[in-house]
Amino acid sequence: MTTTVSNLETEHLPDPTGHPDETAKVAGKSPTRLAVERFRKDKLSMIAFVIVALYLLAALAAPFLVKFGVLDPFTLHNSGEGNLLDENTLPAGKWGGMSWDHPLGVEPGAGRDALSRMWYGITFSLVIAMLATLVALVLGVVLGIIAGFSRGWLDMIIGRVIDLTLAFPQTLMLLALSYTAVAFLVEYVHIPAGNLAQGAYVVLVLGIFGWPSIARIIRGQVLTIREREFVDAAVLLGASKGRIYFKEILPNLWAPVLVSFTLFMPAAISAEAALSYLGVSIKPPTPTLGNVLRDALQYAHASEAFIYFFAPAFLICIIVVSFNLLGDGIRDALDPKSSR
Amino acid sequence: MANYRKRAVAASAAAALTVALAACGGGSDDNSSEEGGNASAAKGGTLNYFIYAPIEHVDPQRIYVGRDISNFGRTVYRSLVTFPASDDATEASTPVPDLATDTGTATEGGKVWSFTLKDGIKWEDGSEITCEDFKYGASRVFAQDVITGGPNYIVSYLDIPQVDGEPAYKGPYTGEGQEHFDKAITCDGKTITYRFNKPWPDFPLAVAGLHMMDPYKQSEDEGDKSNFKIFSNGPYKLEGTWNKDSGGTLVRNENYDAATDSTDIRKALPDKIAFKIGQTTEVIYDQLIADSGEAQTGVTGQRVPPAYFSQITGPVEERLTTIESPYVDYLVPNFNSPDMKNPKVREALAAATNIDAWIAAGGGEKAYVPAESIVNPSVVGYEPNPAFAGPNSGDVEKAKQLLAEAGVSNVEIKFTYPQSDTADKQAAALKQTWDEAGFKTVLDPLGDTYYDVVQKPGNDSDVYWAGWGADWPSAITVTPALFSKVNLTKGSNGQNYGAYTTPEFEAAIDKAANAATLDEQTAALQEADRILGEDVAYIPLEIAVFNFLHGSKVANFNTTPASSEFPDLGVIGVKN
Repeated sequence: MTTTVSNLETEHLPDPTGHPDETAKVAGKSPTRLAVERFRKDKLSMIAFVIVALYLLAALAAPFLVKFGVLDPFTLHNSGEGNLLDENTLPAGKWGGMSWDHPLGVEPGAGRDALSRMWYGITFSLVIAMLATLVALVLGVVLGIIAGFSRGWLDMIIGRVIDLTLAFPQTLMLLALSYTAVAFLVEYVHIPAGNLAQGAYVVLVLGIFGWPSIARIIRGQVLTIREREFVDAAVLLGASKGRIYFKEILPNLWAPVLVSFTLFMPAAISAEAALSYLGVSIKPPTPTLGNVLRDALQYAHASEAFIYFFAPAFLICIIVVSFNLLGDGIRDALDPKSSR
Repeated sequence: MANYRKRAVAASAAAALTVALAACGGGSDDNSSEEGGNASAAKGGTLNYFIYAPIEHVDPQRIYVGRDISNFGRTVYRSLVTFPASDDATEASTPVPDLATDTGTATEGGKVWSFTLKDGIKWEDGSEITCEDFKYGASRVFAQDVITGGPNYIVSYLDIPQVDGEPAYKGPYTGEGQEHFDKAITCDGKTITYRFNKPWPDFPLAVAGLHMMDPYKQSEDEGDKSNFKIFSNGPYKLEGTWNKDSGGTLVRNENYDAATDSTDIRKALPDKIAFKIGQTTEVIYDQLIADSGEAQTGVTGQRVPPAYFSQITGPVEERLTTIESPYVDYLVPNFNSPDMKNPKVREALAAATNIDAWIAAGGGEKAYVPAESIVNPSVVGYEPNPAFAGPNSGDVEKAKQLLAEAGVSNVEIKFTYPQSDTADKQAAALKQTWDEAGFKTVLDPLGDTYYDVVQKPGNDSDVYWAGWGADWPSAITVTPALFSKVNLTKGSNGQNYGAYTTPEFEAAIDKAANAATLDEQTAALQEADRILGEDVAYIPLEIAVFNFLHGSKVANFNTTPASSEFPDLGVIGVKN
């Protein structure tokens, strides 16, 4: 058996790029500290981190901005006084109706403020993606630990369930089941009908289909951790299964969990956008990045609505790429030996 | 949001700007067809007709979509009488003889109608069309479990005794009650006689506007399997078979004798007419705008999507035809809802309805004009409903006042409509002024199917969207069809989605149904519409504007009132 010490803790080498300062007092650096320092040196990851932070800030701020009237994603400007559309019901004026009042122009047909709709859409998209990620993480981590530690028939069953879930035609099921499943949530789980039920459906489905990849990573980690002395000690002292799983093993898993989180988020964001586009997620007039994009695609042919078409696609693209880069950066920082 | 249906049609509500269901409609205004007359109208060539959604029925007794009634009537299914392909509204809504020698003779105050068949009229196999074929065609309508989806007016009109509220005759497949049917429709050589249980003064209009009275050759009938079968008696016949998802091609029928027909009805110019089904409206318009390939000789019954409006300028615009359609979209309050039972609340809802915003969200003035009655202006005896006169921008203050008078506030209402991207915006437009006025609106977009859901009596919705067009240019196919209590059964509200019923309205339509003359009937129907307006049984929204682009090599392009303002295949040809 080769060394079973996790990669993380074998990292006691001094920073390979920095020259040790003779005058400075040699200070012991924790693995976390080392990881953070490595991450800070990675410019691309830092940029991605800032962008993700901005998105999260924007998502947090949007409900308040809407409440205090700074953002107005719902008021139409398409008839009577204050009509912002031309005779073709496309945004009047250049650049899709851009103005100081409407920095990204207005929506064709309804004349609602495009920036407000996209900004508020970020909130709904991120909340759904984050909840879905949490569901996937909880399922994946719990089942991964159990599978990794228990060996034998339980490991086998979980392994086959993982295979089965991965082999499932996910998107088809999502679409085919949406009406019945949402009705089920409303009828038996007593989730109020409408956007709450739709959102819950997407969260559950993304979570339920998303956990297997996380569970596999966690299981792999647990297979090494379970051979270590402190686990043996806990077992010998007669600790319960629950204690071993969650008090002994789980604290050693925060690195893969964090990486899984940052890598699952972008997948969930784009999956939510795709589902919104297919009409399964939250319904308009409540905006999400996906349903704004879906509306915009109708106008892909109209040059007057160019910005409106381009902006939501750009926003989705940026957040997904940033989260992916952030995830990669965190993984590299936590585990410098792994190759990309 | 233009999905129209007619009586007894279980059509699904799909995306916006797709299928419009209805039969005929008299037109009222000038037609902006730009290149009729002078263009060469020589025979020959292949005309392509682009359609998005599959046609549900090709069987004459089951067709109920305005576009299809016109298309197949001009090509393969001739009727006793029909409407000529004329721009003139009066001319186009006056039946002319087709397979019959004249437009029919009424006796016994409109309760008995007889027609005499022309000589030399033949099926595509060369056999003669007999009076028995007409009788057999009408009998199929009674097989309501087999021949579904089509208009069934004759089931309630034909003088056949009723058993438990249903006719004693069950159609030709079971033959049950055949003796009653044999008495109601009789053949004497080439003369066919129909006997009704009440006067039917506009029976020739019904014959001309629908295909339910068309002949059908018994030996060709396979019941439900005949749904996509075309056995022609017109200038064209089907080449091969009809494919539900991709369409079919019509070629010349050598057993058709043009001498028995009139060029006022069918010029039959192209040698081939190909119905091409399955491309989305956007793809169809990409080709038509580019005027490429097959689209050069292409026409379509799909409306221009609003996002394409700005591309239709200059030379492309010369190929655009714009005309008001014979349909009306409207809102129905649900009279089973506790809130909507209060007349003041309904008035407030009507007052706060911002039709201008609804229209703008649906594509603007190029796509819709506001409606002032549930009856389309093309229908005989149309008059604007005084209850819905005035501005269309939603009077929030008046609505607030009405709600205050009703003594209610924060009225929670659920608005149900068929989901589409456009409809979502339109619904948001209504929600805005409704909410400003003091309603709390919940939007309830329905996906897969629409009408069969809103027809269920137990719905908790407060307001429904709906659309309708007259089956023939008479309001008898509008207000009674939509609001009579006859619609209401235990399992379904029929077309009376809001379950409206009052004795005053029933009296008015009863008077209309038993009127011996058309003038009397029209007056009674106008009264009926006024009653509906006072009760706010509906809120008229708009009339869809048809805007069709056609290819540069299409000659004589025209839409006529006789073709429900869809492209009229009776006159359209292909340039050589």
